Amino acid sequence: MKKLMLAVGVLLVAAAPAAAQDAARGERLVEERGCTACHGPRGVSPVPLMPSLAGQQPDFITLQMILFREGLRQVPAMMEPARGLTDAQIQDIAAYFAALPSAPKPDRGPRNEALAQRGAQLSAARNCNACHLPDYSGRANVPRVNHQREDFLAHTLAEYRDNLRVGADTQMNGLMHGLTNDDIRAIAHYLAHRE
Amino acid sequence: MIRRHLLGLAAAAVAAPSLAFAQAPAAPPAWQQGRPAEMANSPLAPHAPRLTVTPPDRIPVSNIRVPDGFQVELWAHGLPGARVMVRGDNGTVFVGTRVIGRVYAVRDTGSERQVTTLLQGLPQPSGLAIRDGALYVSAIHRVLRVDNVEQNLANPQPVDMTAAFGLSDAAHHGWTHIQFGPDGRLYFSRGVPCNICETDGERYALIHSFNADGSDRRIEARGVRNSVGFDFHPRTGHLWFTNHGRDWAGNDNPSDTLHVNLRRGEHHGFPWCAGGFQDPAVPSQRLCSEFPPPAMVLGPHVAPIGTHFYRGSAFPEQYRNALFIANRGSWNRSRLAGFEVIVVREVEGGRLVQEPFMTGFRDDANQRFVGRPAGVLTMPDGSLLVSDEDNGAIYRVSYRR
Ligand code: HEC
Ligand code: HEC
Repeated sequence: MKKLMLAVGVLLVAAAPAAAQDAARGERLVEERGCTACHGPRGVSPVPLMPSLAGQQPDFITLQMILFREGLRQVPAMMEPARGLTDAQIQDIAAYFAALPSAPKPDRGPRNEALAQRGAQLSAARNCNACHLPDYSGRANVPRVNHQREDFLAHTLAEYRDNLRVGADTQMNGLMHGLTNDDIRAIAHYLAHRE
Repeated sequence: MIRRHLLGLAAAAVAAPSLAFAQAPAAPPAWQQGRPAEMANSPLAPHAPRLTVTPPDRIPVSNIRVPDGFQVELWAHGLPGARVMVRGDNGTVFVGTRVIGRVYAVRDTGSERQVTTLLQGLPQPSGLAIRDGALYVSAIHRVLRVDNVEQNLANPQPVDMTAAFGLSDAAHHGWTHIQFGPDGRLYFSRGVPCNICETDGERYALIHSFNADGSDRRIEARGVRNSVGFDFHPRTGHLWFTNHGRDWAGNDNPSDTLHVNLRRGEHHGFPWCAGGFQDPAVPSQRLCSEFPPPAMVLGPHVAPIGTHFYRGSAFPEQYRNALFIANRGSWNRSRLAGFEVIVVREVEGGRLVQEPFMTGFRDDANQRFVGRPAGVLTMPDGSLLVSDEDNGAIYRVSYRR
């Protein structure tokens, strides 16, 4: 079990910089740590299964980065990138990605009307938009899910269902309960094609 | 560590084949079972947890109000998610959390408090107890014991007691409170893995006790939906516990409650009755009149966490053995309720009264909150520590004549 020493004096220093979040500092960290190799230049991911981060809710990014750093959301690819980041650095990174324009991946593929309809019905039945908002842009710790990569959405929703993804609470795990892989594919298609 | 969630009895149902299931009603997630159709589109959802360090100048000490003669100061900060607190014989204060998975140690050097992270990466380490120099940590089903913890703050070597206790790994309402009773046994609360459901009453909706090694399990209180705080009366030794009423039954129903467990194994009403509220979602086989009434009704959705008898003598006479309750505050209510520490005192004739003690966290005009009190602890000098989960801070309340 790792330990972390946080003397009071250290915290005072860390809190000293006047501006809270700083997207420019965040951009430098993103470059240093090579986040774009997986999450795409300017946060729109061209890589299968890698989530886009452009326009994502900053509170969501912050929370997830802390879950990665603390080893609670266990994704091997994210262990190195998150290692040792301070809260302030994480908030800077979140500010950087949040400020980038959200956009679907360029080669999104055509919309399958029947599949999208089915996804829309399933989402309506579970009131997904009550938390993610009607346009699915999210709020605070609830992520933006429109424009997201379809393959990532399908993958991560199945992980919630199978209790393989640990979030800040069990809400998403419960919401996915009982959905089949086909249901999830439909929801992912619907969300990925929302503007 | 990957946690396996077990989400309610409904979740145990076998996944149906795809087409059949598309027509079947969706199994609601644990936290929204019992939600009526007219609330289906409610935007209410649990508040986002804050896991980042709040800089001291942004901690709302100056907002906090206490009764005349008391004063509040910031005692420690930089402990995101701080909840329950226990104190070792050598003065280290240990602090549990939920989402961030850490246990902190706070040492008072006189002029400042030094915060270190003792353990991390645990699934919701919400329960801490201390005895004979050993710190006991409960994290859903996991139980760890750190022997001679105050001598090993830099290098704790936890003994894994998980198998000996055999607790359920259902995450929902699995964030237990633990404490040693006057009988030397280790008490655990265990909530229900749902919002409202008929559940296995031998495993859930109860407070149970064990020998410190995990043997000889005994059910102490039944019919307890979700207790996240309890304590033993300093004089009578009785178990007093707070309990969270269920969600989605309206803004004002049911109330959260305070109970005293007078007989071992006593049933306190879940799922049929909560604080006098006969739950319409449960086929009504048992009436409220069959259960002992709560010692006190605390208010709807206020979310009592820290439940602690004041053991000092520095506060005025009326606070001797008074019960402090930290109401962490509501989410399933259109207007905020709770977000304050109250005190429950006995007055003439043994009657109980409750009074606000520490307020100012809730901003009614703007319907927002600036902090969430969670844990309460008496210090040897008779001052009271109160943790603030949202700001990762600990306040010290003292009295000056
Ligand atoms: C080696 C590839 C890789 C690198 C480099 C990488 N990531 Fe990730 N990242 C991933 C993967 C894979 C996931 C999660 C996929 C999953 O859960 O299925 C992820 C998830 C995330 C998430 C959660 C997003 C969501 O929608 O759930 C955030 C935030 C994130 N990464 C930020 C970063 C940051 C910031 C950096 C640089 C400091 C970074 N990543 C570097 C591969 C990478
Ligand atoms: C009660 C509020 C709520 C509802 C209803 C809800 N979500 Fe979520 N959703 C969240 C929260 C909070 C998170 C982040 C959880 C975490 O920490 O992992 C999330 C995460 C997600 C993610 C992960 C996105 C990413 O980038 O990592 C997806 C996809 C998602 N939700 C889709 C859905 C769908 C589809 C539905 C309906 C079936 C739904 N949500 C309903 C609150 C909600």
